[in-house]
Amino acid sequence: MGKIVVFLLKMLGKLALAALILFVATFTLYITNAENKLIYYVVRPFLNRHYDAQVRDRRIV
Amino acid sequence: MRVTDKIISAIDRKLERFDPLWQAEHGVGGQRSRYRDKTGVAKWREWRGVKDTFYDYTQWLNNLVSMAGMVASAPVPILKGFWEYRWMGSYLGTFLFIDRLFEGYRGEELRIAHMNMHAIVQSLTKRIAFILANDRRFGGGSETDNCIPHDETITPLFLKGFKGLHPIPLQTLPEFIICDIDQHIEPYYIDVAESFGLPADVCSRCAAETGVALDDAFPLLGRVMLSTNMPCNASESTSMFQRRRIGLPDNPITLAMQHQNPEAIPYSRKELENALAFVEEHYGVKYDWDELFKYARLMNEQNTIELEKWDLFKTPYSPLSGIAESLYRLYSWQSVNGQDEYFNRVDRRVIEIMRRCYEEKYRPFGGRTRHRAFLWGPSAVYYTDFPTWTQNCWGITIVLNMDSTMGYNMIDTTDPDKAMDDLTAFTQRACMRHHAVGGWENINAVWDWARSFNCDMVLMNDNIACNGMLGVHAMMEEQARELGFHFIFIEHDLQDSRTVSRQDMRNCVNNYMSVVLNEKPLDPTIVEFDDSEAY
Repeated sequence: MGKIVVFLLKMLGKLALAALILFVATFTLYITNAENKLIYYVVRPFLNRHYDAQVRDRRIV
Repeated sequence: MRVTDKIISAIDRKLERFDPLWQAEHGVGGQRSRYRDKTGVAKWREWRGVKDTFYDYTQWLNNLVSMAGMVASAPVPILKGFWEYRWMGSYLGTFLFIDRLFEGYRGEELRIAHMNMHAIVQSLTKRIAFILANDRRFGGGSETDNCIPHDETITPLFLKGFKGLHPIPLQTLPEFIICDIDQHIEPYYIDVAESFGLPADVCSRCAAETGVALDDAFPLLGRVMLSTNMPCNASESTSMFQRRRIGLPDNPITLAMQHQNPEAIPYSRKELENALAFVEEHYGVKYDWDELFKYARLMNEQNTIELEKWDLFKTPYSPLSGIAESLYRLYSWQSVNGQDEYFNRVDRRVIEIMRRCYEEKYRPFGGRTRHRAFLWGPSAVYYTDFPTWTQNCWGITIVLNMDSTMGYNMIDTTDPDKAMDDLTAFTQRACMRHHAVGGWENINAVWDWARSFNCDMVLMNDNIACNGMLGVHAMMEEQARELGFHFIFIEHDLQDSRTVSRQDMRNCVNNYMSVVLNEKPLDPTIVEFDDSEAY
């Protein structure tokens, strides 16, 4: 019985630690606006270069 | 006071100097202080106090999960979509868009705004995944032939009587929604259209739709398409280009222009009936009224709640206003239109909060509202986050936008004959149409709306390329003077921010507020700033 309680407590401890790490990581990402900076300065310029290089079949019919 | 409240209160006091509202109030900064010049990319997210920042963070996560769900549900088509369609890249600006829209929001305003916005995000992400997974350009899917692509201004509700078929507003993804998120996307498609000789003085929305068609950037779905003359003559023109380029059999639904006239109903009803017969013929299915009534009941509930919201908007205690109200109503009415019960659940929760706020005489936006305005504005108010800016800069609350007054009549859910009449009236009062087209009284109604919602101000967007509205400019000015409204015309070129910039639009309000009313801004950092490179 005692072993099960210890195991559960350890599990809970690990889960709590994982949740804390996840929270710190995502909250840091959120508050520093990091994902928007990445999108604005890296991802979109890369995509725009690709879009500009596309050869589109532009016709009315 | 509980211990946690005391701790939160202590942290809030310690960190209040990072709160842009506090900074503006104390003359040490404001909303613009944390931005990089021109880009619209903030150095850090807005500090709103512990509770509201944490709530904003949870909603950011919530939206992130929806987007991850979208990619997980159809990873290959989503990646192909990003690679093929320029407009898909613009959806990456969604987080910046949401941040901009809800700047300065706190408490119940923030909660309701996020509830409404998440409803849009969860719906839109599912729709993007569904459309791309069934796009013929990427090989199609199991539902490709069961889609009914229709013009964005046709209400999808009347097509819900076809069990197993999916009404898809064709322009919603590449144009209608995305132009609100990214001011730079539609100018590209406008240029494509103009490179074929389309004159530059037509409505930029219709020019952009034409450009999307010519650029082969519409997803290809369905066996037929339903085009329309709504809302105006420029829409008729772009419908013709789209039907030629897409090449599907087309049934144009040409609804009566004088739609407030009761005699218009039989004519427009016949148009809808023809469209239903057209779909029955091409898809080999029978219209099922019981199926339609199921969705009509959801729409009726949404409209019932909407009318109660309107009663609460008339008071100073409504935490729902501005962009959170307008964008939600626009999407939930024109695009969802009773098809998604999630929106009913959101409406039920929101109206509960609004009732409580009314009983508690809750003052939204910290009681900083100076004017109550009725807005007559289309998409240019969204990519500019205009209602949020008027609130934060000058204390002008946008009580209601013209887009919110689309079809609010109830639809009979027992008798198909009555239901058809109701659906016709409902469909005729579509987005951009109810107020800008079909007779002088539709435009003139702005004064009645403004008065009944206890507004002292009317902001009227003046689309410089809207042939229909150009002629009424001087008359509206005259009427405003006679009726005693503060009245501001805001010039814009709808989806082409190169012609009239965001700052040019803001200056229309700045000039009136400082020169005519001699008022001081609530936040001087957002009176004049350059966001020309922002999405």
